[in-house]
Amino acid sequence: MRFVRVLAIIAACGTAPAATGAQTRVLVVSGLGGDAAYSRQFAELAGRLAGAAHDRFGVPDSLIQWFGEDATRSDAHYRGQSTRVNVEAALAQMASRALPGDRMVLVLIGHGAGSDSDTRLSIPGPDLTVADFRRLLEPFGTRPVAVLALMSASGDAVATLSAPNRVVITATRTSYERNEVRFPSLFVKALAEDGADIDKDGRVSLLEAYRYAARETKRSYDDTQRLQTEHAQLDDNGDGRASETPTGRDEGALARRFYLDGAGRAAQTTGDATLAKLYDEQRSLEDQVEALRLSKATVSDAQYYAELERVLVALARTSREIRQREGIK
Amino acid sequence: MKARRGSGGSRASAGSSGRFSLRAVALALLLACAAPAAFAQATLLDSARSAVRSGEYSVALGALRAVPRGDSAWYAAQRLMARTLLLTGKYDDAERVARAATAQPGGAGVLTTLGEVLRDRGRLAEAESAWVRASREAPDSLVALTHIGELYAGRGDQDGARRIFDHFIDVYNTRHDALTSEELAAVAVACHYLGRDNPQLFKDALKAYDEAIAKDEDNLDARIALGELFTEKYNGPDAQTTLEAVLEINPSHPRALVAAAARADADNAGGTDSLVAHALAVNPEYLPARLALARQLLDLERFDDAQREADRALRTDPASRKALAVLASIAFVRGDTPEYATLRARNAALNPRDGAFLAEVSEAVSRVRRYAEAAELARQAITADPKYWLAYSRLGMNLLRRGDIAAGKRMLDSAFAGDPFDARVKNTLDLLDTFANYDTTATAHATVMIEKDESALLSVYVGTLVDSAFATFAKRYAYVPPERLRIEVYRSHADFSVRTVGVVGLAASGVSFGTTLAFDSPAAADIGAFNWGSTVWHEVAHTFTLGLTGNRVPRWFSEGLSVYEEHKARAGWGASPSFGWLDAFRLGKLVPASRLNDGFMRPAYPQQVPYSYLQAAMVCELIAAEWGEPALVQMLREYADGKNTEQVFASVLKSSLRQFDQRFDAHVRQHFGVALAALADSLPADVQRLSPDALVALSRSKPGNLRVQLAAGVLLARAGRTGDAVSALERARALFPEFSDADGPLPLLAQLYESMGRIPDAIAVRRAQVLGGEADLDGQLQLVRLALLAHDTATVIETLDRTMYVNPMALDRHQMLAAFAAARGDWAIAVRERRALVAMTPVDLAGAWYDLAWAEYKSGARASAKRSVLRALEEAPNFRSAQELLLTLVEAAP
Repeated sequence: MRFVRVLAIIAACGTAPAATGAQTRVLVVSGLGGDAAYSRQFAELAGRLAGAAHDRFGVPDSLIQWFGEDATRSDAHYRGQSTRVNVEAALAQMASRALPGDRMVLVLIGHGAGSDSDTRLSIPGPDLTVADFRRLLEPFGTRPVAVLALMSASGDAVATLSAPNRVVITATRTSYERNEVRFPSLFVKALAEDGADIDKDGRVSLLEAYRYAARETKRSYDDTQRLQTEHAQLDDNGDGRASETPTGRDEGALARRFYLDGAGRAAQTTGDATLAKLYDEQRSLEDQVEALRLSKATVSDAQYYAELERVLVALARTSREIRQREGIK
Repeated sequence: MKARRGSGGSRASAGSSGRFSLRAVALALLLACAAPAAFAQATLLDSARSAVRSGEYSVALGALRAVPRGDSAWYAAQRLMARTLLLTGKYDDAERVARAATAQPGGAGVLTTLGEVLRDRGRLAEAESAWVRASREAPDSLVALTHIGELYAGRGDQDGARRIFDHFIDVYNTRHDALTSEELAAVAVACHYLGRDNPQLFKDALKAYDEAIAKDEDNLDARIALGELFTEKYNGPDAQTTLEAVLEINPSHPRALVAAAARADADNAGGTDSLVAHALAVNPEYLPARLALARQLLDLERFDDAQREADRALRTDPASRKALAVLASIAFVRGDTPEYATLRARNAALNPRDGAFLAEVSEAVSRVRRYAEAAELARQAITADPKYWLAYSRLGMNLLRRGDIAAGKRMLDSAFAGDPFDARVKNTLDLLDTFANYDTTATAHATVMIEKDESALLSVYVGTLVDSAFATFAKRYAYVPPERLRIEVYRSHADFSVRTVGVVGLAASGVSFGTTLAFDSPAAADIGAFNWGSTVWHEVAHTFTLGLTGNRVPRWFSEGLSVYEEHKARAGWGASPSFGWLDAFRLGKLVPASRLNDGFMRPAYPQQVPYSYLQAAMVCELIAAEWGEPALVQMLREYADGKNTEQVFASVLKSSLRQFDQRFDAHVRQHFGVALAALADSLPADVQRLSPDALVALSRSKPGNLRVQLAAGVLLARAGRTGDAVSALERARALFPEFSDADGPLPLLAQLYESMGRIPDAIAVRRAQVLGGEADLDGQLQLVRLALLAHDTATVIETLDRTMYVNPMALDRHQMLAAFAAARGDWAIAVRERRALVAMTPVDLAGAWYDLAWAEYKSGARASAKRSVLRALEEAPNFRSAQELLLTLVEAAP
């Protein structure tokens, strides 16, 4: 990731998230594999995601919990079997400790089954349904929550889990898409590796991870000339209806600002008045770019790109000034 | 047209079953016994009917002749005898029998048959007279009436015909339950005719045929007519089922055989020639079969032979408008304008408003790829008979082939309104409705239409390829097409097939109608099924050879030149000699060079079509080598002047066809002498059971036996005797160096070399494999992998570039090629590949645009670079590298 280092330096220079002290809690629940290959696959995905939350996004170890098929594992974040009792207890504990502004990320990995509110994750002992998860998430109230249902046959979960201030991502469109899904590993890859930072701001939002995984899933089917048997979807406006291609404006607006490492892009503050002015300019120019993009369909190509060039050149010069002033090469 | 690998026609087996006939024995026994009782005569008649039904015509005639005059079954026997004689082409005998019967007081029941005999000899007035009498007196008066109606229609008296056929609707409605199977079939004929005014009546025709068959499942004529109706509407599957059921009952029914051939032809299936030949074996004078043969020969551009067959048909029935139409087709295609005018006038004397005549000529002209003239003829057909809906279809299809989509669609809309049951029209209109899903872009010489989902990626390659081919051929052939090319690329093979022939199932991946060309996109087939790049090159070559000759170049020469051009365009493109091809040559299974059209149009076995492509190219290569490349161009010019192949060879090559065939044969024997000898010896039957040592001994003792070397190589490799396996495979390779098939020595030899660490040798073998298999993506990727190991950048770049023309849908290959090309400073390829990557809309689109901008910047295309970097920043405004490049471009600008 090209700009992680840059942002880290910015943070070291005194910038801070808007919601200072807000934390992200991550609960990863991986289910039964049914055979050794799937068990290995689910555990690897879950472990990788938990590791990335810590290593790449800076979530403290204490706020990451992973429950899986095995009774014990040596992985840093592994907390035991993903039984109903353990998962319920973990969610209740996380909810009880969450402060206003804290974020909750619930990740479900494994074989899905059932339909509608009975959509379930196959776990050791009695399964947990999405209706159960809806109930278990209620204590989080209006805190931002992301539910990542990275499992087959998960499509129906959206209607049950959808809520205000909540991102719900499912690996499939319906409960009928029951074949093995490729989306989960690509989604985890988006968070765990470089390549999904579409807007080049040095961070990967849930929307970016979703788009990366959805597109690469489609490509993996296209490349092998096979019919795509899974279609991931995202809902984050609370209407219970997901989109396979969220625009980031209505559908996707929350996911666009949802990062595992805290709030959305910070409003940088500094004691250097010149730098502060430059940041203001930078933000203003970014807003102009966005406004231009929205107007693209209404103006001629030549007009659009002329104006875009003017704004982008100004933005590039401002960004260069900021870097020079901050002593960043 | 470029055939798919493994495509080709197949021969249907519709010959006589050769089964032991119990019926014949039983009849012989009956005839041998004195059988005076009426019971015996009825049994004879029933047995004869049964024999006719199963195609044992001589047996049937024997039984019928045994029915004594005066017997109650005698008239029925005479009617059946006359019909059987007619069926088998014994027209004089049939007339004699029918006349004798009708001269008797109770002989009215044979009048209709007499009329049929007279009609088939072109004596229409006499036939009409017999039918008129039959319509008043005969039990089968309704059948006679349909014949009269058809006679009126054939004269162009559509009002008279309609009045007669309208009567059948009343008959059906008032007497439905009492109608016989034969009468229900007559109703169907009437409904079929009336369909030209009200297409819903086609459905009634279908229903009436079904009812006729339900009432008497032995009514084969009704079944055949039903099959013909299905074929007319391009409903191949139902036609095939119906006609196969008839041929199962009677494998020697001439009408069923010809109908089956027509069905196979409509479906682009093989076997038509054997079906027609069988029909002619049963009835040498059967006019539809004789004309079908003439049409086949016309397709083969064997005009003299076609003329001879059609002349013979016309002698059988001098009033046959169909025979006149075929003769007129031949005259038109040959450019014999006076003869065409004479035939047209002669036909006009029979029917001044004959749309079918002109539509037949239009179809024949279209089949030799002269689409503009075909369209004009179809237009004339519409003028002659505005309700001849098939002519609208022909006009529409030919306009589409000319690239006039709007006018073509208008004609097809008219055809559909008049006859909504023509599957070709329906399919094509459905396809045209999807054109909104395509992007259209312009290159220097072509307008390219590609489905939106893949247009961005394919446009990166197609435009350049087409323009490059255009420039190459314009120079070589000193000819420039009169209009821009129209290129259509179809992501669905079914759509491509419908665009080409109106129905699905075409075994080809590209077609050139002249300046309108259509291709399968790489996504339309399994990976490795074809090389779309060479296909584009091949089809554009057709555009020039067709155009230069006014579409008069014979199929074999046009195909040969197209493959010749593939070979010249890029080493490894185009058909290459295979084991199967060479073995076919050795066994005499290839057609002579001078009869190559047969190999394309009447393949004797499925592989003969792909073999013919290679053979035709080799003919061109031989001519270029011995007479010089300008001779090829001169040959085209002489074809343009209307000369036939014999004349062209004599004029340009100073060679008779026979001499050339001998020269070509000697050329192949000289070039492949070692390989031919190596194919001659067989493989010992017990080779699989031999020990490794015995295999080594066998391999060394038979160094000139290709089969032995191959088998020994495979078995020794399996046994872990790598060194010995390599020796055997090296010998195999030396015997037939061009043998690059997947089951040849090269892939295994490369594997073994690699396992031995002999990377340069493995690379050399994989390179040979790739050069012998234009669509061998696996071989190409293996070569890339080996070249990477050997740090052979040039081979990596060349081979990755080659893969894009097999399957460009792979992000990683584009990335690799772009990176290697950039590292070597080959910015043209780097830019192209970066464009491809952008077109594939990767997740990191901003990064892809930036990489493209950088490659463009390095290639000196600063304006493009600026636009691309703006696109990168549009996606990611704070993308630092892109910002720096933008500032570089802006600040360094003059």
